[in-house]
Formats: sequence, C-alpha cells, structure tokens
Amino acid sequence: MTRIEPLQANFDLKVLNKKQLKQVREATLYVLENVGVRFPSDRALDIFQEHGAMVDKDSQIVRLPAEFVLTAMGKAPRSFTLFGRAPDTELLVGGGHSYFATDGCGVETIDFETGDRRLSCKDDVAKMALVADYLSSIAFFWPMVSAQDYGRLAPLHELDAAYNNLVKHVQTETVMGEDLARYAVEIAQVIAGDDDLREKPALSSLICTIAPLCQDKEGIEAAMVFAEAGIPVGFMGMPTMGSTAPAVPGGALTIGNAEAVSAMVLMQLIAPGTPVFQSLLVSGMDPQSAEYLVTLPEKYLCNVAAVQMAHDWGVPALGGTFGLNHAEPATWQLGRDSVYTALMCALAGTDITIGLGMLDASTLLVPEQIIFDDEIYHNHRILARGLDTEMEGIAVDIIENVGPGGHFLSHKHTRSHLRDIWIPELTHPRMEPEDNQNGDIRKRARDKFNQILAEHEPTPLEEAARHEIDTILRNAEADLGR
Amino acid sequence: MSEEMYAKLTQAVIEGEPEDAELLAKQALEQGLDPLTCVNEGLTKGIQKVGELFASGEYFLPELIIGAEAMKKALAVLEPAMVGDQSREVVGKVVIGTVEGDMHEIGKTLVGTMLIANGFQVYDIGVDKSAAEFVAAVNENDADIVGASALLTTTMLQQKKLIEALEEANLRGKVKVMVGGAPVTNSFATEVGADGYAEDAISAVDLAFRLIDAPA
Ligand code: B12
Repeated sequence: MTRIEPLQANFDLKVLNKKQLKQVREATLYVLENVGVRFPSDRALDIFQEHGAMVDKDSQIVRLPAEFVLTAMGKAPRSFTLFGRAPDTELLVGGGHSYFATDGCGVETIDFETGDRRLSCKDDVAKMALVADYLSSIAFFWPMVSAQDYGRLAPLHELDAAYNNLVKHVQTETVMGEDLARYAVEIAQVIAGDDDLREKPALSSLICTIAPLCQDKEGIEAAMVFAEAGIPVGFMGMPTMGSTAPAVPGGALTIGNAEAVSAMVLMQLIAPGTPVFQSLLVSGMDPQSAEYLVTLPEKYLCNVAAVQMAHDWGVPALGGTFGLNHAEPATWQLGRDSVYTALMCALAGTDITIGLGMLDASTLLVPEQIIFDDEIYHNHRILARGLDTEMEGIAVDIIENVGPGGHFLSHKHTRSHLRDIWIPELTHPRMEPEDNQNGDIRKRARDKFNQILAEHEPTPLEEAARHEIDTILRNAEADLGR
Repeated sequence: MSEEMYAKLTQAVIEGEPEDAELLAKQALEQGLDPLTCVNEGLTKGIQKVGELFASGEYFLPELIIGAEAMKKALAVLEPAMVGDQSREVVGKVVIGTVEGDMHEIGKTLVGTMLIANGFQVYDIGVDKSAAEFVAAVNENDADIVGASALLTTTMLQQKKLIEALEEANLRGKVKVMVGGAPVTNSFATEVGADGYAEDAISAVDLAFRLIDAPA
C-alpha cells in the first residue's frame, strides 16, 4: 500500500534571532543592488531590462534594488499544492507539514544483486521509485540516480522510470535547458491528464544556482519554461565555504540567498504568482583535497538559518538532509550526522526536505540505505511531534484507577495506547521464526528492502499514458539525439 | 646582495604575498640581477617549499593557491626580461578547463594548482568551454597536455567531442589528454580514447608526469 506519513513539527527551532535575520537580509539586498548576479541568458536579461532592473548586457550582470526584489517577491505564494498521480498523494507545501523525499541524483550504484559498485542506470531509478512508493517516509520522489544508459536524454528517462513505478509527486533536479524542459512539461501533462498543469502540477523542479553569484544558462532557461507552464520551481544555492563562498557561514548564506532570490524574482516577472521555493545548502571543503564536506556543525546551523531565510521572503523552504559523506551504511557517524541534518531541518519547519537513501555526498546509491534513513525519519517524526499533556494524554483517570502498586499491563487503556509508542523496527525487530532470525542490522535492512521490491505493487500507470510518454521520449530522441 | 634578494623572493612565495613578490621582482631587475637566476634561486625554491608544507599538512589550499599566485605575479615581471634563449624550465605545459555546459569549477582548479606547485605551466581556461576553445588554447600555448573536467553525466560526453576535435585539428599526436570529474571512470576514459584518468588532484599530478614521461 502506498502511504505518506508527513512530519509536523511542534517546535520552532531558530538559529537566527530577529536582528540577525535582518542583518542577513540587508546584506543580501546590498549584494543584489551593488554587486549583482550574472544571468547568462539573453531571454532572462531582456525580461529584467523590460521590468526596469539594472542590466549590463556585456557582463550579463543584473543588479536589483531592494524595492524591486520585495515587490516581485510579494507575488510569490507562501503555499501551494503538489500533485501525484493518485488521490491522497497531494501535498500542501507551506501548510505546516514537512514532506520528505529521496535524494538525488547520484552517478553510481551498489548493484542490487552482485553488490559491485557500478555506473547508475534507468532500471535503478525504477526500482528505487517502487520502494519509495511503499515507504511512508517518502512524500515525493527525486529520481535517485542518473539514467546513464540514455545519455543526453537521461533526465527524461528518469521521469519515465519514476512515473511508471510510483504514484507520488515527482521533482526533477536534472532537467536542464529549454528543450529538455519542454519535453518534461509534456510528460507532466500526460500525468495531469485533462487537468491544467497549473492546477495540478504533477512535476516540480529544482534548479541550482552557481556560486558565487551566477545562474546557469541551461538551468535558468529550463526554469523559465517551467514557470510558464505553471510548474513549481525551486532554486538551490550551494555555496561552499572557502571555495565558492567566503570562509564564513554568514557570507555563504548571503551569497546563496542572493542567487536564489534573484532567480525567484525572475520567475515572478515572467509569470506572477508562480509557485517558487528556496533552498540553501552551505557546505565546507576539506582544506587540502577540497573534497565537498556536508558533515560539519556550521553546515547544520546554516540549514536551519536557510529555512528562516526562505520564510523571510515569504516562500516555502526546501531542506537538504542525509546524503552524507560516507560510503558505508550503518556506521555511528551516519547515525550522528543524520540526526543533525534531518532533525534540525524538521524542527526548523522545512516545508519540503530531500535526502533519503544516498551516501558519499549524494553520489552513491546503496540500496538498503533508504531503509536506514526511513527508520531515522520516523524517529524524527515522533520527536518533532512533541508530547501530549492534555487530560487524555496524561490519563489521570487511569492512574487513579490502578492506584499505588500493581501494574498497567492488563489495562484496556494500555492495550489501546501501547501501539502509539513507536518502536524502531531495525533495532527492535518483532519476534520472528527461529530460522529467520538475524542479528546483523544491515542484513535486516536489506531483507526489508528486498521484500518491498519483490512484493510492493504500485498502482500502474494507465496503458494510454504509458504510450503517450513513450511517444514523447521517441520524439525527444528524434529531435535531440541521445 | 643578490643572495638576499633571492631569499626575499623565496619568502614572498612561501608567505603568499603576491604584491610583495611583484615589487621584489621589479627591484631585482632594477638592481641588474639575472631574471632566470631570480626564478631558479628565488621563486622555484619558494614554490617547492610551499608544496612541501602542503604535503605535510601544514598548509591549506588557500596558502598553496596564493603562493602560486605570488609566483605568477613575479614571473610576469621576470619572464619578459629574459634574454636570448633564456627561458624558465617547466616540466610541461597543460591546458585545463571544464567542458561545455558544465559549470563545476573547483575540481579542475585544484588539479591545475597542484600541477603548478609541481613545476608545470598551467593555462586554466575556466568552465563551460567548448571543444573549439580547448583546441584554440592548445594551439596558442603549445601545450603538451589537455586536462578536461566534467562533473555531470550529461556533459562527460563532451570529453569525447574534445578528443575528436583534437584529432580533426591534427593535434592528437602531439598532445596528451587526461580526463576527470565525479562521474568519469577509468573505463570511460579508455572508451573515449583519452590517455589517462585520475580520480583526485594528487593522482592527476602523477598522471601528468607519466604522460610526458618525466620523473615525478
Ligand atoms: C558543488 C557542486 C555544485 C556547485 C558547483 C559550484 C562551482 N562553482 O564549482 C553548483 C551548485 C553550481 C552545482 C550545480 C549543478 N550540479 Co553539482 N555538484 C556539486 C558537488 C556537490 C561537489 C562538486 C565539487 O566541487 N567537489 C569538490 C572537488 C574538489 O571535487 P571534484 O570536482 O570531484 O574534483 C576532483 C576529482 O573529480 C578530480 N578531477 C576533477 N576534474 C578533473 C580534471 C582532470 C583532468 C583530472 C585528471 C581530474 C579531475 O580531481 C579533483 C580534485 O580531487 C557534486 C557532488 C559531489 N560530491 O561530487 C554535485 C554534482 C556533480 N552536481 C550535480 C548536479 C545534478 C548539478 C546541477 C545539474 C543541479 C541543478 N539542478 O541545477 C547543476 C549543474 C550546473 C552546470 N551546468 O554545471 C550532480 C550530478 C549528477 C549527474 N546526474 O550528473 C552531482 C553529482 C550532485 C548530485 N548527487 O546530485 N553543483
């Protein structure tokens, strides 16, 4: 059965106080007005110019006065709905829940059968979509690895594999450039059926900005196509302290914030009211090898600050969690670091959050990792909920009823509430037949994974829709080559 | 007097002071010192020391990069003043860049810097560079090696295009090609006909030495 159990935080974790939030906002607006952001797209530059932004066509740098930014951002909705292809999969983003998704888009896979490390392919995306469809931690899906067997068309085949194996909402982070974006919109329209995509976005997109202070031509041009089609678009700044950003968290946040908001402003100029969202993933680098590091306390603080900053613009926040710098599942480091990323983001009130199931800084798919992350997620879901101290939650009447001494084991109240206490499944498996017992947690995770893969049957995509998507893929191949 | 100047140049590179290095180079020429000796006795010693400090974990990347920067500034003053057939000894000339459609900057910058620290002359042409731009840079700088970086599964195919373009320009016999970046593998490198692949900057330096048949 396909289920979604979203997280709802009863805490309000903040890293920046009011004054600090204002300082970052002012620094960002200063940078936007005085330094600017490069938009290497004639179309984007023309639109900015038409609307009266300061545009230098030679350097392709756009500078935006504070008023300009705030007016445009005033048009962006604080909440919107994402759709899947089945009832009960719609997500009201910005409505107080935090919806989690898989991580992407990796380039290598630990083979499902042989255990060898190899290049990723379309079938990996399909299998992971099926497992993600089952897991209730996953509210929407990022194709987890690249469909490298389809070359240039990989991003479209990732969508095909996703829609064919999962009914939940799909978000792409690999569809770049006008051409691919147009085909992706066509595919999304097949999923939306007779409904207007604007009303029922079955696809959303995440585009990265290029630190420091640039946009990607292909990225921003895809974003414009999506915005016009009514597909929600998010922008993610990925400043790395010391290499693509100053070696101070505040500076990295400011750079990413300026990049992302400048892109969101453009979306509002093109199609006012377009659903947009923001994400800032600050990272560090190994000071000698420049390896991309995501397991740093400073990064975790920035994750929370980033949520506050998105909300400060009045748009939903996407948090980036899990996807840590290790290649081995089930290590103590992973346990430690997942808590800092995922729990802190959740408590800060991210609206959507990506990251389950990948290792090696989001480049390596290890099949059973998603089972570990699912379990951590559910821990967090309970943690974020907080405690119930209403009469019913305290059960004074039951305390009174049992009185001093004795026990609660035989009480009906216990019978009906014991199941509310969530017990981690991997560390505390239920009783199993003798011959099936296994103390190895990694094997348990793997068994669960294999079982889902073998038994779960997502509602299939309708025959007609499948054919339509096939046709679109063939057209894309004829038009763009592989 | 001259010894003192060489030591100062060495020091400016070790301490990573590009402005000082440039100024010192000018003073050295004013004092009539031989530019090539200034390079060999001053700058080269400095960058070697920087490399050692980096290898021993004492120096971080910014120290390495700013050290190389200081050397570059001083070289810009000294090299034009060299006379006759005087020229700085370089291990090899490398053109490096990230392929078309790909904006990932850091990996190739790091590889380039490590090559500089190991005595190579490096021309970093930047990110999002077409095969034609690579070819032009190879011609212009008479390069021995081309290094192409690609971080996306969708752009790694550009490495193949680059190799084809080098063949078309009749440069393939003369220039070695090394490729790298997260999705690139040894077998991919062989498949597209590159001369070598390296997974990180340290092995990229070893590879470069091997490609031009020089002892590391
Ligand atoms: C930082 C980063 C970015 C930054 C880059 C900032 C900048 N100015 O450079 C930004 C935010 C701009 C970015 C953008 C995008 N990115 Co990116 N990015 C990364 C990330 C996290 C780290 C890259 C990095 O800097 N590593 C540190 C350096 C030191 O390592 P390195 O580059 O691997 O280089 C080393 C070796 O590879 C080797 N090497 C590298 N080059 C060369 C060259 C030669 C000749 C040799 C011998 C060796 C060599 O030596 C280097 C030093 O040790 C990687 C994931 C990862 N962990 O690798 C994703 C990643 C590469 N990006 C990815 C994606 C999808 C994108 C976007 C498409 C996202 C989007 N939706 O917009 C855009 C594409 C933009 C574009 N057109 O290029 C995916 C690629 C997946 C795929 N299917 O191909 C990755 C794998 C992340 C993921 N899991 O999703 N990205």
